[in-house]
Amino acid sequence: MKAIEPDAHERQLIEAAQRDPSRFAELYETSFDRVYAFVARRVPGRDEAEDLTAEVFHQALASLANFEWQGTPFAGWLLGIASHLIAGRWQRNAREPEICADELESIGVPEQTERQAMFSQLVDRLPEDQHYVIRRRFLDQRSIKDIAKELGRSEGAVKQLQFRALENLRNQVRTRRE
Amino acid sequence: MNNSMADQLEEAVSALMTGSQSGPHQSDPRIRQLLAVADELRYLPRTGFRARLRTDLETAANHRAMHRPLDILPAPPRQRGSRESVVPPLFRTGSSAFPVRGSHLAISFALHVAALSLVVAWGWWMVENRAVVRKTVAELIPSDSYALPAAPGVSYGGGGGGDDDKMQASHGSAPRFAAEQLTPPAVNVRNEDPKLAAEPTVIGSPDLVLPQSTQPGDPMAALLTPPSNGIGSGGGIGSGHGGGVGSGEGPGVGEGRGGGIGGGVFRVGGGVSAPRAIYAPDPEFSEEARKAKYQGSVVLSAIIGSDGRPRNLRVVRSLGMGLDEKATEAVARWRFEPARKGSQPVAVEVNIEVAFRLY
Repeated sequence: MKAIEPDAHERQLIEAAQRDPSRFAELYETSFDRVYAFVARRVPGRDEAEDLTAEVFHQALASLANFEWQGTPFAGWLLGIASHLIAGRWQRNAREPEICADELESIGVPEQTERQAMFSQLVDRLPEDQHYVIRRRFLDQRSIKDIAKELGRSEGAVKQLQFRALENLRNQVRTRRE
Repeated sequence: MNNSMADQLEEAVSALMTGSQSGPHQSDPRIRQLLAVADELRYLPRTGFRARLRTDLETAANHRAMHRPLDILPAPPRQRGSRESVVPPLFRTGSSAFPVRGSHLAISFALHVAALSLVVAWGWWMVENRAVVRKTVAELIPSDSYALPAAPGVSYGGGGGGDDDKMQASHGSAPRFAAEQLTPPAVNVRNEDPKLAAEPTVIGSPDLVLPQSTQPGDPMAALLTPPSNGIGSGGGIGSGHGGGVGSGEGPGVGEGRGGGIGGGVFRVGGGVSAPRAIYAPDPEFSEEARKAKYQGSVVLSAIIGSDGRPRNLRVVRSLGMGLDEKATEAVARWRFEPARKGSQPVAVEVNIEVAFRLY
């Protein structure tokens, strides 16, 4: 479990969004990767992950005026909303909730979620052609053959791009950990 | 790097994506490490979802921010890899959807206030103007009870008639008084065999009883013979005209006119009650008088018949500027509870003062 250090900037963003809901977009951009990663690991499909993520942010927007700054990171508050929604969804499906209250500390975010959010940022920094292949292959779940057709290149070349992109990501993760 | 490594990795990735392999189980540690990275990538959101959700949130936030003062920041260009340092505002300027500025809100507020003020002022003016009109109309009738003033003298009436004879009417008794007259009296009856016989009467209160004799004629005539209807006209007996008896005018008896006995129509007083207006539509100002802000009173003379209708309207005191005509038009539409002598409705002549005032 990794704690997110709340900083003064985040507090300013929250207070600005409480005064003016239009500023909520700034909080959204800084929190999206974590919330989606948290949800995606706990629900079976992407459709459900997207539905729940959207619900988390809409609830957060609606309840933002009630958010009291007590040093708790905003992402922790969002993940709290997410965990309640996920638990509610599992209960509605008459199944045991996969997530328990202990999983989240009050001011922490699961390390796996942090790592997932980091991958989202690292993918954005890949070279253009590698970024395209990774996005189409893993985010849009297209086959190598389809991607090769879209790029006008051979399947072998696309496989090489995929190989290099994954190596690139692995190296960046190593660099960050060090 | 050789192609076999890339192919091997793709096979492992395909197995991962289709769910036939839940995680990295490759023997090659290099492939295994890359497959672990690929496993993480499976949980990234689909392309476009992030932007779509942001748009949805913008719409929702826009809804919530409609009534708040807004901090408008220009939208900085979004660049890949610099998301952390960029603070994109939700509302964009320029031609994008829903541009909102504080100045726009202020202008909109001012316009709404101006429009509302205009509506209120117009309504206020209408109410005030309506009050003026109503007040002016209310002042047209001198008395709040519409009771007309009593005449200072005694009441009198009269009538007259004749049949264009060369001789003055002969002496005799007038027929009995009745509220209406079907047949005028006559000394010499021209039609001895009428198809529909009716008793001759004169108009007046049936309570009035004159000495009766077998010879009909004018009670005021000096001549006894020869029998004559008189030199008057319009039927009746005498030198007047109008179906009555005497030298007057109308269906009564004696001098004067209008009915009854004596020298004219009834006047209020002496046992005759005043008529009471029961329907009195407001007269209008003439356009000429309104523009000139001309004020004053018109006095009309009228006979209020036993049926409550005014007739013989004439202007006694003129005001001009078209107001005489307006007053006459209005009073002609009035209806009265007729004057009464005893229990019988009778016609009376009254003066009506119509005041035109602007406030």
